[in-house]
Amino acid sequence: MARGGENRGRLLLIILVITSLFLITLDLRGVSVISGLRSGTQTALSPVQSFGSIVLSPVRNFFVDVINLGRTRSEMEELRETNGRLQSQLREKINIDSQLEQLQGSLDLAGKAGFKVVSARVISQGATTSFTQTITIDAGSRNGIKPNMTVINAFGLVGVVKTVFPNTALISLAIDPSFRVGVRVAGSQQIGILSGQGSRKGVLQLLDNQSTISVGDILVARGSVENQPFVPGVPIGEVTSVDNAAGAVTQTADVSFFVNFSAIGIVSVVMKAPDVDPRDALIPKAPVPTPIPTVTVYVTPSRSPSPSSGG
Amino acid sequence: MSTRKIGLTALLFLIVYVVQEAFITQLGITGGGFSLFLIFALLWAALSSPDIGALTGFVAGLLIDLSQSTSGALGQWTFVLILVGFGVSYLGLGYENVRMNPFTITFLITMAVVAARVLYLLLSLLLGESMGSITSIVISILIGALWTAAATPLVMPVIARAYDFIDDTRSRI
Repeated sequence: MARGGENRGRLLLIILVITSLFLITLDLRGVSVISGLRSGTQTALSPVQSFGSIVLSPVRNFFVDVINLGRTRSEMEELRETNGRLQSQLREKINIDSQLEQLQGSLDLAGKAGFKVVSARVISQGATTSFTQTITIDAGSRNGIKPNMTVINAFGLVGVVKTVFPNTALISLAIDPSFRVGVRVAGSQQIGILSGQGSRKGVLQLLDNQSTISVGDILVARGSVENQPFVPGVPIGEVTSVDNAAGAVTQTADVSFFVNFSAIGIVSVVMKAPDVDPRDALIPKAPVPTPIPTVTVYVTPSRSPSPSSGG
Repeated sequence: MSTRKIGLTALLFLIVYVVQEAFITQLGITGGGFSLFLIFALLWAALSSPDIGALTGFVAGLLIDLSQSTSGALGQWTFVLILVGFGVSYLGLGYENVRMNPFTITFLITMAVVAARVLYLLLSLLLGESMGSITSIVISILIGALWTAAATPLVMPVIARAYDFIDDTRSRI
């Protein structure tokens, strides 16, 4: 009996393993039923995710406040003075203002470039369990979004639409390890390929071995054929360090992205871009130091009244 | 296994899956956080016999594969969790003290999560997917292990009670 049970267990294990390998094979061969399963799951889950996003917004803001405690100390001091109800309202307002600011910035950038965009809210951040960097937005095929569309925010390139569901879309972030984008160095017009590394920094590899880059160089998207997956001219990041290793065929460099990927609330999906390449027009202008006006007061002693003038 | 047991187990798995997908992923926990559903499935497997452990891994893996945040091929997590679920339940069955001691079971689940992620990584590399720099992978696995070690003792009593309620046996942890 015990041997029979053991054999049954082994048989079950073998059947399960074969089934999983069968599923992998079907998926890799692009069987539509398999992709339909994922799409169906996402369609069923998206209302719950939207609800969860609204409910957990204060909790998420709390964690962000804790993480950024040093930076927002002055804000925290102000908030401490208010009571619990006002604190909650204030956090809510900060959240809305932040989203509004992000939306405004995103639309400003799109307007400057002449992009036709659809803006959407980030409703979920992809689990890093699978070593991928993704976000889910609350706009999908019903809003006209298609795979391989460029996604931007106020600071520049966020990523590319990877998968589209009826009401949501999965965005592959520029920091995803599988992300590759053709870039152009603003000004010098050198070209290279920027790869995501799964961290906050990307790695740039120049294509021409005669070209050189330096710290502080700004990178913009080079653009793709028919503007998909990348529209040209979108700012991406800034070179933070250059690898001048002897013997390297081409120069490589570390790049810091303009977008803060841990605080993305609103993004815009580029639906249509103008035929004209904006070149370097979208690069954020370097801050100009504002001169501090100095006031000089000259004090001239008034004449002391003479006895004769006093009458 | 009775219809009642199967029905209640399936319902519980579905609830934890929805909680994971709709709430836990939205918390924006530092370093990627933890997967409540993965911990739940592996704890469930650790409390079960090896064949049920493998079956638990199959169902849990299939659900993770269906998640929109999973970008690998469908069946990849299924394959990994069948093996890990079987392994965890085999270890739990072979060493009774593992089941009796919360510390050892926390260690077992943490190691199982690490093993599952490493297996998934290897399978992804075999399938030709880009996985990023070694540093980011190691950091991600380490942080994930720390979060799992922190979260497992918190959810363990609840899962053990739910298991006992469905299994109609005395508490094992």
